[in-house]
Amino acid sequence: MGEVILTMKGIDKSFPGVHALDHVDLELRRGEVLALMGENGAGKSTLMKVLTGIYTKDSGTITFEGKDVEFHNTHEAQEAGIVIVHQELNMVGDLTVAQNIFIGREFKKGIMIDDKKMIAESRKLFDELHIDIDPKAKMSDLTVGKQQMCEIAKAISHKAKVIIFDEPSAALTEKEIEDLFVIIRDLRAQNLGIIYISHRMDEIKVITDRVTVMRDGTYVGTLVTNECTKEDIINMMVGRVIYEDPKTHSAVPDDAPVVLKVEHLNAGKMVQDVSFELRKGEILGFSGLMGAGRTETARALFGADPKTGGDIYINGQKVTINSPEDAVKHGIGYLSEDRKRYGIVVQKTITENSTMATLEKYTRGLFINKAEEKKVAEQYIKELATKTPSADELVVNLSGGNQQKVVIAKWLVRNCDILIFDEPTRGIDVGAKNEIYKLMNRLAAEGKSIIMISSEMTEILRMSDRIVVMCEGKKTGEIRIEEATQEAIMDKATRDIN
Amino acid sequence: MEGIKQNPIVKKLGFNRIILFCILVLLYVAFSIAIPGFAGMARIMSILNYVYFLGFLALGVTFVIATGGIDFSIGPVMFCCALMAGYSLNTFNVPVAAALLLSIVIGFCFGVFNGWLVSFVGVPPFIVSMASMNIAKGLGSVFTKTQSVSWPQANDPDGRGWFRNLVKVGNIPTGLIIFAIFVIVLYILMNNTKPGRYILCLGSNKEAVRLSGVNVRKWQMLAYVICGTLVGIAAIFFVGAYTTVQPGLGDTYNNEAIASCVMGGTSMAGGLASIGGTVIGVFVISLLQEGIMALRMTKEVQMIITGLIVIVFVYADVSARRRKN
Repeated sequence: MGEVILTMKGIDKSFPGVHALDHVDLELRRGEVLALMGENGAGKSTLMKVLTGIYTKDSGTITFEGKDVEFHNTHEAQEAGIVIVHQELNMVGDLTVAQNIFIGREFKKGIMIDDKKMIAESRKLFDELHIDIDPKAKMSDLTVGKQQMCEIAKAISHKAKVIIFDEPSAALTEKEIEDLFVIIRDLRAQNLGIIYISHRMDEIKVITDRVTVMRDGTYVGTLVTNECTKEDIINMMVGRVIYEDPKTHSAVPDDAPVVLKVEHLNAGKMVQDVSFELRKGEILGFSGLMGAGRTETARALFGADPKTGGDIYINGQKVTINSPEDAVKHGIGYLSEDRKRYGIVVQKTITENSTMATLEKYTRGLFINKAEEKKVAEQYIKELATKTPSADELVVNLSGGNQQKVVIAKWLVRNCDILIFDEPTRGIDVGAKNEIYKLMNRLAAEGKSIIMISSEMTEILRMSDRIVVMCEGKKTGEIRIEEATQEAIMDKATRDIN
Repeated sequence: MEGIKQNPIVKKLGFNRIILFCILVLLYVAFSIAIPGFAGMARIMSILNYVYFLGFLALGVTFVIATGGIDFSIGPVMFCCALMAGYSLNTFNVPVAAALLLSIVIGFCFGVFNGWLVSFVGVPPFIVSMASMNIAKGLGSVFTKTQSVSWPQANDPDGRGWFRNLVKVGNIPTGLIIFAIFVIVLYILMNNTKPGRYILCLGSNKEAVRLSGVNVRKWQMLAYVICGTLVGIAAIFFVGAYTTVQPGLGDTYNNEAIASCVMGGTSMAGGLASIGGTVIGVFVISLLQEGIMALRMTKEVQMIITGLIVIVFVYADVSARRRKN
């Protein structure tokens, strides 16, 4: 760890009605990876936006390489050597890798773009980073992990001295995360300063040197990573201890009835001949790497995407599911991995969202019984401990965890017996995550059956009674929780198909 | 300012709608001062004639815009309804009541056609309505052999002018009563019924509504059918007030109806719609039209103004959304 490269001191920023940053400090050294942690809404993103010039600070100082600086936009920050790699990637899918890396500063030969030189330069960058990507490949053909590496290469090409990673691992598979860590270690060795934002405790322990924790827009403290425990960090973040034990045995009796049986489900390349059973009161984990076909299986089962074959039995009865409408009729509810796009109508109220799947129950003839509708929405706000001023609040104003609760409420109002939770805690902070876990356990205990798709190994091991593992569109294994280990799951998730 | 906006009564009525209503009143006062003899019943009756047909068009298109779609065919379809029904009345001697019904049926059919293409076939609304606009114009011209059609007068000896009583009886604006009833019914439809709820929600996030097990195609199509039917009714009020219809026209009313909607707070992005706002918007446009005529300016001046109104209000809506995010 070298000298200090970046200091932010007493950074203050208010928005109408919100004191987003309250005199926050941050110090970054050369050759270190600094974790920036905090629950959603703690102010991490705001702080980084102030640093990179997206927001203007109200007060405080930023010192970069010994000089006081203030950037007015990301371009200025980039020029100075501070680059942010976003969670959502800013890539143009139809352009090649090389074209993306040099977008806006293309090499020219006369008036023509010099593609050859861009390709050569990209290749040099990738070699430096030990990344194996073809600069001529079309960006949209790459996996999310590879796209992110292109983003990193782009940052390096800007002669970055400080790189900020904003939840880089959220969309990556375990293997891709490992590759990412190799690169980050490399960058650290080259004496760059790295800020790493993540919710994932295990990663923090592995990759970072120090941890700065924020809570509710304030600076809580900084710890040296290998001198503290996960609990230390979490306590600083939330001020409460959370439980994180893996499940040791299944809570489902062996003679529990099979509520859902899927046989030889097929839907394109991503779902090939998938069969499984789901029992009453069971949480069935779906593990696998990104692109294993788990979401596609769920969507085909739910009728959201067309299937090309397969039979579905509910409580022993063969059913036809060709649309979400059919699925819902048969008592299946689906919580999408992408809440904002597929789960909720953000511009509508909690009440309107809660009764979305059950509106006919709250209508007399054509008319909606708004009082009754609101009553049930309020009932589930209470039951799920959704944090909101009222049931009339627009969902857009809720945090991720509370939005997720609204989606869950929607299916509970419908009284669905089979619930598909697709990445139920993605983008949700630690506290709310725990509440979602407790809720899932409670639902299972009440006799609901849950399919849980998750890319987080700890989540799979902590929640599942049984685990289905998928790889490249095929089911590659089924493991009882008693026998489940990370190694066993990983082995099946990466199994060589040949 | 924030304090006023949080007042429960203001919140219920909508701050923007209150402002728009004030603009309406100020505009009327301004015209009355600028133009001698503008104030008075005669002008108001004339403004109301415009309000009726434009109102039905605007209310119809409000439902389509609420789904996130757009309909540029409403004006020409209204003319097509009026032409085909009027031609049937004059040439085939069908009863007046049947002609009126025919007008509504033609509008309904256009709604079904547009809605089916948009919802079930998946053609973008912009393209569908552009095509229907031309179909409507062409159909009206072909059917009438490119001749203008005149509907019967109130004092025609055969008594076939009775339908004008729908617009006014003597000096009583009966049209206003009918219009008001429709406004109330459509307000309830939009805000208190299942179809309205689904139309608004799918306008905001169609995929999320579909994945809630709702047949979104059906409800999306319904918005176009409601629109088409109201366009058919608009045609009746148009001929009830203005008698003669010429083939090949009607596009100017598209902009006026859409301008009324966006002024009233209906978002072009879908998901947000205000029936009350649309009504105030219709009054503003109708007043403008009357005022501009009274100032001896041409219809073209009004077209420029409505064009600018659309841009200003859509910009305001877009930038308000951006600020929120």
